[in-house]
Amino acid sequence: MIALARSLKRNRRLLGDFVVRDLRARYVGSSMGFFWSVVYPFLNLCIYMFVFSMVLKVRFADSVAPHQVALWMLCGITVWAAFGETLSRSTNTLVENQNLIQKVVFPSEILPTFLCISSLINMCIGLPIVIIGVLVFQAFPDLLGPPEVMPVLTNASGPNDMPPLSLGWSLLALPVLFLAQALFTLGLGYFFAALNLFLRDVYHLMGVGVTVWMFATPIFYPPQMVIDKGYGWMLAWNPMHWLISAYRQILIFGAWPDWAMVASFGAVGLVLLFLGSKFFLWQKPQFPDLL
Amino acid sequence: MSTAFHTTDAAGPAHGGAGSAIFAQDLSKSYRMYDKPIHRLYDLILPGKSRGRDFWAVRNVYLDIARGSTVGIIGENGAGKSSLLKLLTGITQPTTGSVQVRGRVASLLELGAGFHPEFSGRDNIRLNCSVLGMSDAEITERFPKIVEFSELGDFIDRPVKTYSSGMYVRLGFSVAASVDPDILIIDEALSVGDEHFRGKCINRLNDFRDAGKTIIFVSHDMGAVKSMCQWVVLMDKGEILEQGTAEKVSDEYLKRAKARGNERMSAINRGSSAYPRWGSGEIEVTEIEMLDGEGKPAHAFTTGEGFCVRLRWKAHMDTKEPVFGLGLYRSDGTYVNGSNHHWRDKPIALRDVRAGESGEVEMSADALQLLQGQYYLTTFVYDHSKAAPTAIDHREHAHTFEVIDPRHLQHGMLFLNSRWTVRRRSGDDVRTEESLS
Repeated sequence: MIALARSLKRNRRLLGDFVVRDLRARYVGSSMGFFWSVVYPFLNLCIYMFVFSMVLKVRFADSVAPHQVALWMLCGITVWAAFGETLSRSTNTLVENQNLIQKVVFPSEILPTFLCISSLINMCIGLPIVIIGVLVFQAFPDLLGPPEVMPVLTNASGPNDMPPLSLGWSLLALPVLFLAQALFTLGLGYFFAALNLFLRDVYHLMGVGVTVWMFATPIFYPPQMVIDKGYGWMLAWNPMHWLISAYRQILIFGAWPDWAMVASFGAVGLVLLFLGSKFFLWQKPQFPDLL
Repeated sequence: MSTAFHTTDAAGPAHGGAGSAIFAQDLSKSYRMYDKPIHRLYDLILPGKSRGRDFWAVRNVYLDIARGSTVGIIGENGAGKSSLLKLLTGITQPTTGSVQVRGRVASLLELGAGFHPEFSGRDNIRLNCSVLGMSDAEITERFPKIVEFSELGDFIDRPVKTYSSGMYVRLGFSVAASVDPDILIIDEALSVGDEHFRGKCINRLNDFRDAGKTIIFVSHDMGAVKSMCQWVVLMDKGEILEQGTAEKVSDEYLKRAKARGNERMSAINRGSSAYPRWGSGEIEVTEIEMLDGEGKPAHAFTTGEGFCVRLRWKAHMDTKEPVFGLGLYRSDGTYVNGSNHHWRDKPIALRDVRAGESGEVEMSADALQLLQGQYYLTTFVYDHSKAAPTAIDHREHAHTFEVIDPRHLQHGMLFLNSRWTVRRRSGDDVRTEESLS
């Protein structure tokens, strides 16, 4: 991992160029340009709101306003998008850049990192939408209609109301989450990038895997639903759930995140990055032969 | 293109002393081939015997390339040239042996590797330079030169996806040429682009050479190698067959190329012909054979050597006035030459051939005036007893052969026995020099 850090530092200029290129590539050639960073999660939100809130009538709390659900989902979607995108793109990145790897003495270890940085930056463009949303709905809580009071169900675990929207000093904790998220994403990214050269099916499996994982994570439904059904262990073992809850604590409820959860997420991220980068660098001399 | 620094300490090893730019010893590279991709994964995680087979792309190579020399590496496709280059460049790691490289290497294995189609030429130059390891200051300094060298004009600000392949290559070469390496490795990258740009590239290479840089040039074209390099390395099946002066190695290369050409052509000629054959069939051409200058059967010839085409025939029915002819075509279908034994200053008249007769017809020349390439023969037997000759046995594309031109003195299709004269006048003094072909 130290070797990786050293190499990234040595190639930081190239890394920067790749990040800039990637960010621009997202928008060059599209007329709405940068706007897509904002529009895309928003459209996603509309779809998922429609499906989960209106069609499936997912019960978020005993009494909840639509805007609360929307912001709650949006926060999860934005974070997941950055993670899922980096993971699936990293898996294919060596194949995509085989031109460079085979024809040039190229530091391939910058590839997953530039994807991760680029996605995180993209996420940082999307997250302010959540913040703006929270500010707007704090001021005008009834903009989308009053909270809908759900009939009390007998087997529900006591009264649960979604806490009110709020923002506070806890925003200062965001960089910690960014860092932890980067460690975690990169660890998996490095591992699967190298593994994909051994078995190209990994890339296709990854597409399915990311989707399954996304729906296994409470992004569109409240975690309480899973816990009530007796699948609480799924959340207890899902680091992405830990991460997304921490983001929600900060961005939606203005509270400090559960530091134990953040710490365990960071620890998992460190271990993954250690293993992933070890595997990647171990196999790296072989990359030109494997492509 | 790439840059790499693998330097050794100044003292250096016993061999390949201070004067050598690249020193490779016992260099081998094997690739492990697997029947199924999953076996590679098994090998990675499961202990025990490997499930793959080794393929040796480069084997036991010893190279000592002096600083400032221009070295050509030639060999057929699959001889291991590109694999060797990748080892020398440091892109791949050797399986056994070692490479020592002194100085900065730039390799033009592929021009424009990593160009992004959506970005303008300008943006791609920047990124490509940075991939090649140039610093910001270097890029800023060389940027105008690169733009100028590429001659792309207004296109420099358009997305690379709108470029023609020639423009793409020009941009790639311009960037690569701006790297200031000690050792330049070129993999046939120059065989692209128009004449004008090729000229510029060659000038650029000459500048490199004059500046005392080391150039390694890879090609399967002996002519190109001979014109550029003093020292030539001949590779086959991953091994170095021979290395030495261009003259010495080119003889060996020619011998092998001819042997290989013979093999390939005879395989082509053995295969059943897919080309049309028609005629009334009174006389049949049963066999077509080509002989070289020494009268031995051959399928590959050297420009300038004697050759002979021999047709064996057999008559199945009486024929009044048959005439045998030969048409010679280049592989692209260009009609090069056609003749028969009747339309000549002194014709041979063949009259009243009886059923059951057989014989041979030969067409020969002292010097084959074709330049390098692949050619084919069409044989004709026509009945000239009528006003308009009719086909008896017409075999389209009946025989294929290859011509190798080791000297590369003339270009095109035909070797002309020409003479050049150069006259110089200064005042009353006239100097004339003449050169035969």
